[in-house]
Amino acid sequence: MLLVPCPNCGPRNSADLRYFGESHERPNPASASPHEWRSYLYLEDNPADWLKESWFCRSGCRRYFTLERHTGTNEFRSPPMPGNKVGGKA
Amino acid sequence: MVDVLRFESPVTTIYPTGETEDLTLGDLSEITKQIVRADSKTAAAEQLAVTFGSSRIDGDVIVLGQRPDEFLLVGTPTATASLVEGLDRSGHVSVIDHTHSRAMFRLTGSNASATLEKLCSVDWSEPMTPNGAVVSASLAKVGCDIARLDRGPDRSYLIACDRSFAQYLFDAIIDAGNEFDIAVVALAPTLV
Repeated sequence: MLLVPCPNCGPRNSADLRYFGESHERPNPASASPHEWRSYLYLEDNPADWLKESWFCRSGCRRYFTLERHTGTNEFRSPPMPGNKVGGKA
Repeated sequence: MVDVLRFESPVTTIYPTGETEDLTLGDLSEITKQIVRADSKTAAAEQLAVTFGSSRIDGDVIVLGQRPDEFLLVGTPTATASLVEGLDRSGHVSVIDHTHSRAMFRLTGSNASATLEKLCSVDWSEPMTPNGAVVSASLAKVGCDIARLDRGPDRSYLIACDRSFAQYLFDAIIDAGNEFDIAVVALAPTLV
């Protein structure tokens, strides 16, 4: 089970969230070329390394958030945690 | 003459009722439930005075912070109506009565958290969910809002879900609680 640290709800089973893939900066609509749009919409970096990605907390706070996850180890880098909770068994 | 429609619970299965000290489940669906959506910067949110994940008791009403900008008011019809009428509606504020669209159960007993642990991946330990904590989570794959509101020394949880899933969820909780000798109890639609 992958525990995803939601910034509002704390660690949650990934089944309670929706994965929205890699998080990239949206190109400027006024100046982006078709190649840039295609790259933004359809192409993924898919590194075996740290990756910034988007998640949606569908069972909890119902908010979108971004996290950095190592795709090789499933480790999260400096996850934001709600309040001063320190966690129990999770 | 105005006909008053009698509330019909979404839970129609008749279970033998009983009373154990370890674990009881009751149907509280008839209790009044109002959902207030108010941004944290609005006057209404300040009036309700709870943060996401916490709750407070205001007379005969419990105010639950179930999302960062959403509050669930649970209580008697007159008390909740009184609280809603007193809210400052300036800014992005909406109030919707969900009494007939949301079901609510009360799970009480020393094994209540052990039962929830079988259905849900949330950490029900004291540091993460102390008395008064409010959690939104998947319970037996049903999206629920759960508040821990202890009754005396016993743990007690209010569980709210969409009405259409209520019968399934009630049965799932009974199934999970069977190993703890869960008993179904009749509850009056009040928080007392």
